[in-house]
Amino acid sequence: MIKEPGQITFFQPGILTTVQDQGRKKMSHFGIPYAGAMDQFSYFKANQILSNQEGSACLEMTLMGPEMGFESETQIVFTGATAVITQNGVEVPMGKILQIKAGDRVKVIRFEKGQWLYMGIKGGIESELIGGSRSFYDGITRKSKISKGDKLFYLSDPKPFVPVNSYAKIKADWFGTDTIQVFKGPEWRFLTKSQQEILTQKPFTLSKLQNRMGIHLNEAVINTLSEILTAPVYPGTVQLTPSGKPIVLMRDAQVTGGYPRILHVCDSSLNVLSQKRPGEKIVFSLI
Amino acid sequence: MEKTFFIVHPKLIEISWPAKISKDILFEQLAWKDFLEKHYGKKLEEARLGFNTLSLAFLDKTHLYEWDIVFHHLLSIKADDNTYQGSCWIVPVCYEKPFAKDLSFVAENHNMTENQVIQLHSERPYLLHFYGFLPGFMYLGGLNEGLYTPRKSSPDRMIKAGSVAIGGEQTGIYPCESPGGWQVIGRSPLSFFDIGQKIPTKPQIGDEVKFEPISVEKFKFLQEQVPNPHYEWQHD
Repeated sequence: MIKEPGQITFFQPGILTTVQDQGRKKMSHFGIPYAGAMDQFSYFKANQILSNQEGSACLEMTLMGPEMGFESETQIVFTGATAVITQNGVEVPMGKILQIKAGDRVKVIRFEKGQWLYMGIKGGIESELIGGSRSFYDGITRKSKISKGDKLFYLSDPKPFVPVNSYAKIKADWFGTDTIQVFKGPEWRFLTKSQQEILTQKPFTLSKLQNRMGIHLNEAVINTLSEILTAPVYPGTVQLTPSGKPIVLMRDAQVTGGYPRILHVCDSSLNVLSQKRPGEKIVFSLI
Repeated sequence: MEKTFFIVHPKLIEISWPAKISKDILFEQLAWKDFLEKHYGKKLEEARLGFNTLSLAFLDKTHLYEWDIVFHHLLSIKADDNTYQGSCWIVPVCYEKPFAKDLSFVAENHNMTENQVIQLHSERPYLLHFYGFLPGFMYLGGLNEGLYTPRKSSPDRMIKAGSVAIGGEQTGIYPCESPGGWQVIGRSPLSFFDIGQKIPTKPQIGDEVKFEPISVEKFKFLQEQVPNPHYEWQHD
């Protein structure tokens, strides 16, 4: 079967539209962050629905989505945050394979629930591969986000599309839970019993201070710990800042840090957390 | 040196050394990392260093009994001085205006002249422990105690690439333009991170870095040479 390169053109870029995959995990010894899809579950789901190879690159969008045009035939699917999406002006469902014809326009109208939306495309996006990953990151990939007029490439699949009437509906409430499962971090044992109790019993609110690197929480615990000698941190590491407010490190986290690492969010809960909005509350629960 | 380990979760284990910055710890970390990569390379996603930590991310769950055996084997590995023969890279630094905006503050802070600060900062080589903070940012051990200087209470909005700075008990070089709270005492014309190269950084973990004071004229000359693909870093 002959596959020809097709391209997506962005008429509107959206606020932070990037290419993401499982992340760049073999280059941290140069100080390069993993990056990768904020919600790895929905990213994985998008590829799975399309029967893509594991690790294929998807488009990640947040809060204000893009408007894009497709040059040639392919199939796409949307997963993650619940959003209103149209194909040539007609609303289309999430989680269902959409047949794209040459010239089709797809627009993300608005986000209803959650923060991160994924568009999987048959065969994956063919952007530059650096250190085994196509995930955008400032200073590593040429682009750190999609701008107006940008183009992304995919391999067009001329295979006739067999319409499927049934499709896997993904319940949007999978990220509705407020329980975030955590492991103890390396500096947990230096906390007092009352600090430990507050951290695992009291609710914490997501602040507006958040991006792909981390989420600051609003409530503070009295911090009696001193800073540590710079040590490795990962997506999921919960650091206790000098003010006592915890930060949960997300996918673009730096590779090392000097704040005590008190907890570590398990990967499935990190996906849940990524979809929560500022003002929502969570409770850390030890595994 | 006492070594302990902490299991964060079944795929993430951290080994700790006593909390200090030392060459002996680094060389033992490297010997252990080398052993693990040779013998557990397929199970190991990555081994990452901190000053006194070696963090191991595994691809599959590691059982405690299995890890116990590995850890006890690690304890028997000693880094002898010949295991790692690092290079000593010469990093030219111009400690003059306009590149050294906080040099006078650092000098005043220690009741020294600016020349004494430059002398103490450039007299002996530093050891590269690991990269972190930014792609290509070196964590260097060996800053003279007399130069320990507090970080700024409110960080500078933009520090230029190549800036050489002191923050607390550390010294480092900003590989790219970035906000930062360290005291800037000079700038190097070299490029410290190039993602276009197969290995994007010149000095490798375990190598040494020595600062060489240069004039503004030499800085400008080198600045023109550095983008040339044939430009070679100097080393001892």
